[in-house]
Amino acid sequence: MIHYLNHSLMGFLHIRRRFSQVIEQIYFIAVESSLIIFACVSFAAIVTVLESSFHMKLVIQGDSMVPGFSALLILRELGAIVTALLLTSRVGAGMASEVASQKVSEQIEALRLLGINPYEYIVAPRILASILGTILLVAIANVISLYTSMIVSSQALSIHPELFWQMMNRFVSFQDFAFSLVKAGVFGLIIPLTSCYYGFTSEQGASGVGRATTQSVVTASILIIISDFMLSAFFSNFY
Amino acid sequence: MTRFLDSLGHHVLFFLQLVRLTFKSQFRRQDLLMQIWTITNQSLPTIIMAGFFVGAVMTIQFTLQLQDFGALSYLGGLATSGTFREVGPLLIGFILCGKVGAFTASELGTMKITEQFDAILCMGSDPINEIVLPRFLGIIISSGFLLVGGLFASILGGMVLGAFYTNVSVEEYLRHIPRFLIGISILSGFLKSLVFSILLAVVCTYQGYHVTGGAKGVGRAVVKTAVISMVGIVTLDWLTSFSMEILIQIVKEAR
Repeated sequence: MIHYLNHSLMGFLHIRRRFSQVIEQIYFIAVESSLIIFACVSFAAIVTVLESSFHMKLVIQGDSMVPGFSALLILRELGAIVTALLLTSRVGAGMASEVASQKVSEQIEALRLLGINPYEYIVAPRILASILGTILLVAIANVISLYTSMIVSSQALSIHPELFWQMMNRFVSFQDFAFSLVKAGVFGLIIPLTSCYYGFTSEQGASGVGRATTQSVVTASILIIISDFMLSAFFSNFY
Repeated sequence: MTRFLDSLGHHVLFFLQLVRLTFKSQFRRQDLLMQIWTITNQSLPTIIMAGFFVGAVMTIQFTLQLQDFGALSYLGGLATSGTFREVGPLLIGFILCGKVGAFTASELGTMKITEQFDAILCMGSDPINEIVLPRFLGIIISSGFLLVGGLFASILGGMVLGAFYTNVSVEEYLRHIPRFLIGISILSGFLKSLVFSILLAVVCTYQGYHVTGGAKGVGRAVVKTAVISMVGIVTLDWLTSFSMEILIQIVKEAR
């Protein structure tokens, strides 16, 4: 495993040779999953607004604070983590099954024979592309979910959009947005590292490919949740 | 668009077939119990770990927001209620997608590719009845157990973080839970989880049963399962929240 980490990260030294691959992977990661992710994130934003209005009514008998709280929750947690979990299922599982079927059909051995380091050729471009792609996706997803929650709170809770932005500005600072992008970068590093690892260590045969994909999705989601906890605890010192 | 509607229709037809078989067929009870045991046993550690950290994250976020109002004693109640109603079922559904959904799809896909279903057909019995149905019911039933495990782990995680991070003692954390956690919250959480698990069970069995094209096909089926079920979960999450809201309104007006 240390061998794997070492070779994949050392591959960054030669990343300029693989520039076209990086672009291709960014297209696969960010562009092809963008529609699904934006739809899901805006649904999550709608639910957040409705739920926080339920809790507000329970505690302070009014929902005038909903904009601030739901915007904070979206920026600090939901935007990044929902995007990352969806990317794990789509991109992570895709990478794991791709690399595993390359391994099963001995294409990776062929790369070795050609004198190409397979870690540098396969893993390093994916890591760079995934970090960049996840940051881009999370930035756009945050903005989209803020707009969605504005529309929902003006329709369902009759909070005027002007009031929404005012309340939001009182709670949210630029820090929150920046920290969510840092989180996105870390999640973007985790996804290809785990899925390519399970792809490289997969066993022969059809069941090997399936098992590699399953394990990579599970491990990546657990790692994302744990690292989200750590980052939240760490960032909470700065607020 | 037509492709989307096509696959939606196939999933619904498959679901109806499974439901019809559930009521009229005599599948072996042993198989069902075996499936429930394996699924619960395999996924419980993962779910408990995820639940623990979800509770911890919720506690941190609510601490940051409540600190400004000096309302830290409400922390336990609010974090637990939020987890039970919304975040718990959603995140546990996501983890189940990765764990159970992907596993079942790859298992059924491997069976299909190695022609084990054809062998069962040759022996004169129905592979859907013998293999698919116990898994379908097993996923739905065992996801209930897993949800309970995950939610208790999330209370524990919130409690631990509350004690060490926020300095809210365990007693104070637990004291406000019964006030905020009303019956309808628990009910809506479990309803959501039931809907998610039915969706997950349909998608993963359908995709696994209809695999074509060797080892690559199995991988493709697993990816498809994960994507379809996660997107479906987020969409259904919104739908159930919305319909619960309307239901509560109707009940209130009827009173």
